[in-house]
Amino acid sequence: MATEDARYRQTSQFQLWSISPTQLSAMREKTNAAARSRIAERLASLPALANTASAPTSSANTPDPDGTSTPALPEFLTAPEEAQLVTFFTSELLRAGDHAEMSDDIKATAAAFFRRFYVTNSIMTYPPQEMLIVALFFGCKAEGSFVSITDFVKTFGRDNPEQILAGEFLLCQGLRFAIDVKHPFRALRGALMELAVLPDIDHARLGAAENRAREILRFSPLITDAYFHYTPSQIMLAALSLADRGLAERLITQTFHHVAPPNNDSGADTPAASGPDGNNKPAPRSGGEDAAEIIGSHARDRVLGTIEACRDLLARELPERREHWTNKAVIKAQITPLRKKLNKCRDPERWNLVELQRARREQAAKRADSEDGDPDDRGGGGGNGAVDSDGAVFGDPLPPRDNNKRRKVVGVNGKGLDDPFGGPL
Amino acid sequence: MSRKPGGGGGGLPAISTEDMCPVCKTIRYLNKDMEFLINPECYHSMCSNCVNRLFNDGPNQCPYAGCHRTLRRKGFRSAFFGDLSVEREVDIRRRVAAVFNQAEDDFETLRDYNNYLQMVEDLTFDLVSGGDAQRRAAEATLGQWEAEHKADIERNRKAGREADEQSRRRLAAERDAARQRRVEALREAEEEKLERVRSREAELDSLAQGETGAGGGAQRVQLKRRGHAAANRAVEAAVNTATAAADVGRLSIRGLKEKKKAPAPEGPYDPFGGMDFVPSRYKVHEGLSHPSIEKYKVDPGHITGGYNFDEYTTRAMFEAFAGLGVFIEDEKEVGIGLSAGEVATISAGIAAVGDSMELD
Repeated sequence: MATEDARYRQTSQFQLWSISPTQLSAMREKTNAAARSRIAERLASLPALANTASAPTSSANTPDPDGTSTPALPEFLTAPEEAQLVTFFTSELLRAGDHAEMSDDIKATAAAFFRRFYVTNSIMTYPPQEMLIVALFFGCKAEGSFVSITDFVKTFGRDNPEQILAGEFLLCQGLRFAIDVKHPFRALRGALMELAVLPDIDHARLGAAENRAREILRFSPLITDAYFHYTPSQIMLAALSLADRGLAERLITQTFHHVAPPNNDSGADTPAASGPDGNNKPAPRSGGEDAAEIIGSHARDRVLGTIEACRDLLARELPERREHWTNKAVIKAQITPLRKKLNKCRDPERWNLVELQRARREQAAKRADSEDGDPDDRGGGGGNGAVDSDGAVFGDPLPPRDNNKRRKVVGVNGKGLDDPFGGPL
Repeated sequence: MSRKPGGGGGGLPAISTEDMCPVCKTIRYLNKDMEFLINPECYHSMCSNCVNRLFNDGPNQCPYAGCHRTLRRKGFRSAFFGDLSVEREVDIRRRVAAVFNQAEDDFETLRDYNNYLQMVEDLTFDLVSGGDAQRRAAEATLGQWEAEHKADIERNRKAGREADEQSRRRLAAERDAARQRRVEALREAEEEKLERVRSREAELDSLAQGETGAGGGAQRVQLKRRGHAAANRAVEAAVNTATAAADVGRLSIRGLKEKKKAPAPEGPYDPFGGMDFVPSRYKVHEGLSHPSIEKYKVDPGHITGGYNFDEYTTRAMFEAFAGLGVFIEDEKEVGIGLSAGEVATISAGIAAVGDSMELD
């Protein structure tokens, strides 16, 4: 096994957030189904007035709040619709990042956070418009660019930092605390360095290819599921291949140059067939079976196949599609119906992050009090409808693991921090 | 073992005939000092006169009718127990204990030690009151074990003797010290008496003398012990080499600790858990550069601080090639990187996160 691959396998990106397409769609289905049942339960149990009292902010931007008063359940989003909305909001996130003049790394990290979060959480449960700002803020921090929260909210024309801070720990939990995202940007530089030392290379061509590949990397892998399915170097090579196919194949041929020793005549080992520049292949280097496995022709073919698949994925969302996602006609035709649907079927208790946060804190404080004092006083206090409804939820007999986790949520927000990584998820 | 156990278990005389020698029929009445002797070959008792008479001229047959054992005068001794069968059993036990002399420390678990004790007891029982065949088999086992574990037995015997020796020495030292104290106390009392007539200085002098004497003794004891420990170690080393050479016997006792196995030497600590940092797909060679970092190479803001551009190059090259051969779709579904079970638990964990996030 190549040492670089072994090192990459150690990353949280590989261990936690590398998922095959079928697994990803299965997880999305599962999340969708769970969200449906929860929301249906809550909408059914919730009286109409409690909802309007609890969420004044959400009712302001709700065009038709009549869905909650009727006992009939709304029509839920399906998993593919959710995925489409997530993609739309990812493009919104990238636009917001451009607006705030953030670096590529921050935008990419924030986009990866956002998409990862909505793998295990439904878009019907937590508000995507809020979460994308949270993801951007947390992405800044993850990439080492520490902006003050007051400046940050001003950039986005808001005045309440609480809205962003409320979702921050939630986002971390959804990410399973895997904060480090590996990007293909620096990898592109490395590839260009490697190509630049080749004798017969046109530097103008290199520069053009790099610009185009970088353009692609800024958009295409972020708005697709490429980060889940491919490693950064594969994404990078796919983008390079989209920009200049010859260069990418040249680099791959250059890398996987090992030729099987003559006694092991496994057949036609013709690297020239795989790329137009394969004719100046370096002389076969001495190496054992390891070398054949790491940089042999078989490995090359597999890598080429993977990169081709990634290239197809990226080609679906080339940077020119930025206009597609802001095109009014497209939005009206595809996105607006979904958002209308979303407004009807969203989670009444989770939608407002600030309320949720406050309710959780109160609940935790009350729980701590009741644990200290008499345990019967638990349901007494909260006069607010939202707190009551949350109390009904929190009062359910939960496994003790969840209780611990909730305590941790409170710990991060205000009081002592027991375990920086939170409860066992 | 030159000795063979007695075969005449049935012919043991009752010592109710305490007063009459069964060989020469002399009675105690005639000979007040008559002393009965036995030979552990057959445990037939006879008076000392008979022993002298029969065995003075060398080995001879046992005078008992039907007992054809050849006895030597050297083997005769007076019985400690009145019941000769008890005498015989004690002898056998002593012999077995000399061979099977493992201590509890030699075993890994208490259960193993108990099993060993049970085995030894079974063997002893066979020897003491088993049938002919059983006794022969037990005898063979005993001989075999002794032959094969000579070194171990010797070491344990030495260790036992050492322990005895040490406890005896300690007891002796304590007794000595007690005697010393007593003498001291006596003398003090004496001096107390003499105090009235003696001067104070003389008393102090005598006390000082007594103390230095005691200190010297203690030091000598200490030195002696140290010498013993060194000898111990030498013996142990010799035994270890002997056991290493010896073949493993057929009668093996489970749970005996392996003594000669030294702990495997640990290599130096590797903080990266054996990860290899030598790239296998590319080489970081001279002249790798990128137009966008060229301008920083002359920027005082970067070079003054000692920024190493090679580090950047190394990192960029690593990222360009890291994970190139990681095929997520294959690995996550077939489970090459993580096993399929782990992937399943991770997925389940993620799903559980989703669920519990919904819950709370």
